[in-house]
Amino acid sequence: MKSDVLNQLQKTTIFKNVSDDVLAEVAVKASTRKLAKDEILMRKGEKGDSLFLIHDGWVKIVTVDSKGDELIINKCGPGEMIGEMALLDGIPRSATVIALSDAEVLELKQDVFEEILKQRADVSLAIIRSYSERLRFSTTYIEKAIDWSQKTAEGDYSFAEQAQPLINSAGSDDDKAAQLLSAFFAMVRKVKEREDGLKQQLEKLTFEIDQARRKQEFEEITGTEFYANLKEQARALRQKRAQG
Amino acid sequence: MNKGKIVSIHSFRGGTGKSNTTANLAAQVAMAGKRVGVVDTDIQSPGIHVLFGLDENKMGKTMNDFLHGKATIREIGFSIGDHSSGGEGRAKLAGKNLWLFPSSIRGREISQILKEGIDFNLLNEGLQKTITEFDLDYLFIDTHPGLNEETLLSIATSDILIIILRPDNQDLQGTSVTVDIARSLDVPNLLLMVNKALPKYDFAELKKEIEDKFNAPVTGILPLSFDLADNASNDLFSLRFPDHDWSKALRGVAEAVLAVE
Repeated sequence: MKSDVLNQLQKTTIFKNVSDDVLAEVAVKASTRKLAKDEILMRKGEKGDSLFLIHDGWVKIVTVDSKGDELIINKCGPGEMIGEMALLDGIPRSATVIALSDAEVLELKQDVFEEILKQRADVSLAIIRSYSERLRFSTTYIEKAIDWSQKTAEGDYSFAEQAQPLINSAGSDDDKAAQLLSAFFAMVRKVKEREDGLKQQLEKLTFEIDQARRKQEFEEITGTEFYANLKEQARALRQKRAQG
Repeated sequence: MNKGKIVSIHSFRGGTGKSNTTANLAAQVAMAGKRVGVVDTDIQSPGIHVLFGLDENKMGKTMNDFLHGKATIREIGFSIGDHSSGGEGRAKLAGKNLWLFPSSIRGREISQILKEGIDFNLLNEGLQKTITEFDLDYLFIDTHPGLNEETLLSIATSDILIIILRPDNQDLQGTSVTVDIARSLDVPNLLLMVNKALPKYDFAELKKEIEDKFNAPVTGILPLSFDLADNASNDLFSLRFPDHDWSKALRGVAEAVLAVE
């Protein structure tokens, strides 16, 4: 299990730049918690003082809508981390997390986490570096989103036809950014389709015939001896056919 | 005696999809159980024989030979119903009564028709004989674009003239002259068909505007289709993709032809 946990920790934003030996230490200091189906892992509004790494099973992240009904914000499964921000900012939980099935999570307490930071300056630096990267990544998206919004407002949808370079270059590990981008592009496509639909309803072709040219061309063709004969023969033929 | 109808398909300019339309119309009318012949006088590419899967190297004598008394019409008629292989759409014509009467393959030979003095009566007798020998209900003629003497002969002998146009100013201008010529030559049934219409236009409006301008019925507005362009020279599109919008509109034109008394 431990190598599994290491593997999963390495994939998270917070521990991305932390070396393997330190992560092994973190993994040892973390405790395992088993959850029964429907068991509540955390409640909205509670103080956040630990993070959870899902090792096995699924949980749902829920809040309550304006009518008081449960609203599922997300579902998380093996390898996904919940509540990691709380270790740094200590802000109360923004949602409730409930086990969808029997599950096993790895819990890392804030005091254990802070103890590691005190002992290891390199870990602190690695974590700061990870967040700095993430911030830069987010800023790039925000700048892009501002640019796209302005273009959309002006009716220029050409960017949505292009590939989505940010996902490829900035790393596909950031699922939320990918989702945002995908939702943004889907929105632009829908707006464009609707606009095209309206244009289609409105577009009408108008044309004009140059009557002088029409007459001139007609006279050029019909003014020959060939045509006069043909017309005569055609008339005779039509009469013959009509008589059957 | 004169039961078969001569249907000329014409467009003022090239590139309207005339050959493709002719082949598909003839095929649809044959599918409706009629006995159908197709005379190909527009030898410019891609050539109607290609659409019917006929190898030009295997084509021997042509309509010109028949008109000049150098061959019998039986030697010219190529049964599509007996040779309907090589295409998913074409395969549906197996057993149908559809014949292709190739005109000349080589451009030089087509001018022979005039040089050697094919006149109206000779052409008309030839076409009537074709209808009688094969007991045809319809004889389609894929004419040359423009209004040269050969095309005027075809128009003059037609019971039905279908003019194909694209919805643009040049085609509409040219069509206006052809409409005047058809009326001058007493063609009894004049039908218009719009092809390659951009889907962004309001088709009902377009139909109304063209009908008002020419005082003739628009029997179909067929959309510009990349699917068709992709397939065009290889198979009979309306048989291969019967549910496509282009095919549906084309069947409307075929029905208009069948409805003519």
